[in-house]
Amino acid sequence: MTRHLTLAVSALALCASAAWAETVAVITPYLAQPGTQAYVEGFEAAAAERGWDVNVIDTAGDVAAVISRIEDAVVQNVDAIVINVDPAQVGVGLMAAADAGIPVVGMDAGSDPLVAANVTSNGYGMAAETAVYVANRINGEGAVVMFVFDAFPPVQIRGVVADAIFGNFPDIEVLDRVTPDVSDGGIADSRAKMEAILAANPEPGSIAAVWAAWDQPALGALQAIEDAGRAGEGIVITGIDANPQARDAIAAGGNFEASIAQDFNGIGSTAADVVARLLAGEELRESVIYVPTMLVTSANAAE
Amino acid sequence: MTKTLRQSGTLLGFAAIIVFFAVQLPETFLTARNLINISQQLSMLAVVAATMTIVMVMNDFDLSVGSMASLAGIVAATVFTMDYPIWTALLAALLVGAAGGLFNGFLVSVIGILPFVATLGTLTVFSGLAFLISDGKTIFGRDIPAGFSGFARGGIELGDVRIPFLTVTAALVILVCWFVLEQTTFGRRLYAIGGNKEAAHLAGIKVKRLRLLAFGLTGLGAAGAGLMYAARVASANPTQGSGLMLDAIAAVFLGMTMSRQGEPRVLFTLVGVLILGILDNGLTQMQVDSYIREILVGLIVIAAVAVASFSKRR
Repeated sequence: MTRHLTLAVSALALCASAAWAETVAVITPYLAQPGTQAYVEGFEAAAAERGWDVNVIDTAGDVAAVISRIEDAVVQNVDAIVINVDPAQVGVGLMAAADAGIPVVGMDAGSDPLVAANVTSNGYGMAAETAVYVANRINGEGAVVMFVFDAFPPVQIRGVVADAIFGNFPDIEVLDRVTPDVSDGGIADSRAKMEAILAANPEPGSIAAVWAAWDQPALGALQAIEDAGRAGEGIVITGIDANPQARDAIAAGGNFEASIAQDFNGIGSTAADVVARLLAGEELRESVIYVPTMLVTSANAAE
Repeated sequence: MTKTLRQSGTLLGFAAIIVFFAVQLPETFLTARNLINISQQLSMLAVVAATMTIVMVMNDFDLSVGSMASLAGIVAATVFTMDYPIWTALLAALLVGAAGGLFNGFLVSVIGILPFVATLGTLTVFSGLAFLISDGKTIFGRDIPAGFSGFARGGIELGDVRIPFLTVTAALVILVCWFVLEQTTFGRRLYAIGGNKEAAHLAGIKVKRLRLLAFGLTGLGAAGAGLMYAARVASANPTQGSGLMLDAIAAVFLGMTMSRQGEPRVLFTLVGVLILGILDNGLTQMQVDSYIREILVGLIVIAAVAVASFSKRR
């Protein structure tokens, strides 16, 4: 039985081994997540155009297995390795790749001296865009509720930028800077926090806007505002990430007006560009490469 | 004759897998470097599986080993963040492992809950504790001392090759488990319990106390593997050990197909671990889709156990 299986494997392997081409291993524990799938699809499409042989490896949440698979790829002597995992956690694998002279490129992976370049979205830029949207919509005056999460560095930088922008408008007052409990996903607790803030500020117009550092608190705030019967006050809500639930809410044309979509596919294809540059022998000057993001409003939310 | 066939079937399959990869990957598979890689990649699973064998000898189970491994990593990392020396953190984590294992043993042998149910319960408890202590966050970076993560990077230099410390640790644990189970009265009594609990009890074996101890050892092993895992990834995350449990049980089952009476043996468990690890390594190098790899691993476990139970019936 085992030998029959072995035969089956060999048949598969024969089909898989294409003509000689550059081999790139894409290794991630997070392939089940929609964002990661989009990175990988973007990468595969760009790699197919170049005729590369791409091996996508998902370790189903197991970070130590990422190290193991990086080591395997190094032994196999691939031409490049692409990761979508925090480099700090797979340092042993990155060192093995560095010793073998195999370049490693990150797709939204975080920066590390052993990663030639990390391709990601600009968190500073995304926060600036939504914060400025809020400031302009309320004509530079009124009370703003912020939902932030400073314990998680990629989200923390968003809060810093929004602080700076709101601080630059003399008539904008930050009413509260809330860190919701995210253990249940972030919507429920944000809603509870927003309900408390609404109760504390009962006057119509006393809250001009809600700026959220990601979509879940924005959705929670939206539910609170609608349930409190204050949807008609024109409170402007913005989020970041433009997840499907947020897009639906934005398309509905209610208080949730804007979010930012990261170009996950573009991150994948840009990572392929970076791999191509490295394979061509180019020395990269910048270790972080940003892929443009897009503001999502009711005008384009359905796309 | 059928018995010999049954016993050697898995071993033949194992050999076939090695030959297959050696032929398919002539330049990379049977190299010292790759074999050392595999041994290091497998070290954590080997420790969990070897200590899991101890309870499985008594026909018991421990489903909580994966979350115990996560919890041990979190406990050690949390102690690190409080600036205690490394050995305190390791000791704390191992103590938590032994205590958790003894608690499993208490539930199973003193209270009398089915191991499946009891350890399913503690799986959730340990996992919840890991989340609670860590606040759900990954502990990494400067919080993890270099001496700790360095252990997973270092090894014993032997001429051109370097045997990783993780591999050495796993080998020592396997050796200890083998000695305890096969060379001591404690081990023989566990096998007696596995053969027939009632008879063992009537023969004067203190079944309750032995089961308690055995679960304690399994918990200790799980915590050790959790520390190895945390050192390897230089971080601790409340879910990182969860993959170990099913693989460990699969490895013991694969091993059981090789023994005379179908009882678990540590060295056969090691073969089971090697089969799983070599498939992962070889199929990755051959660029077989990772999902197909998972399906294959599952099918091979089923096939081996099916062949074994089929020939047993005849």
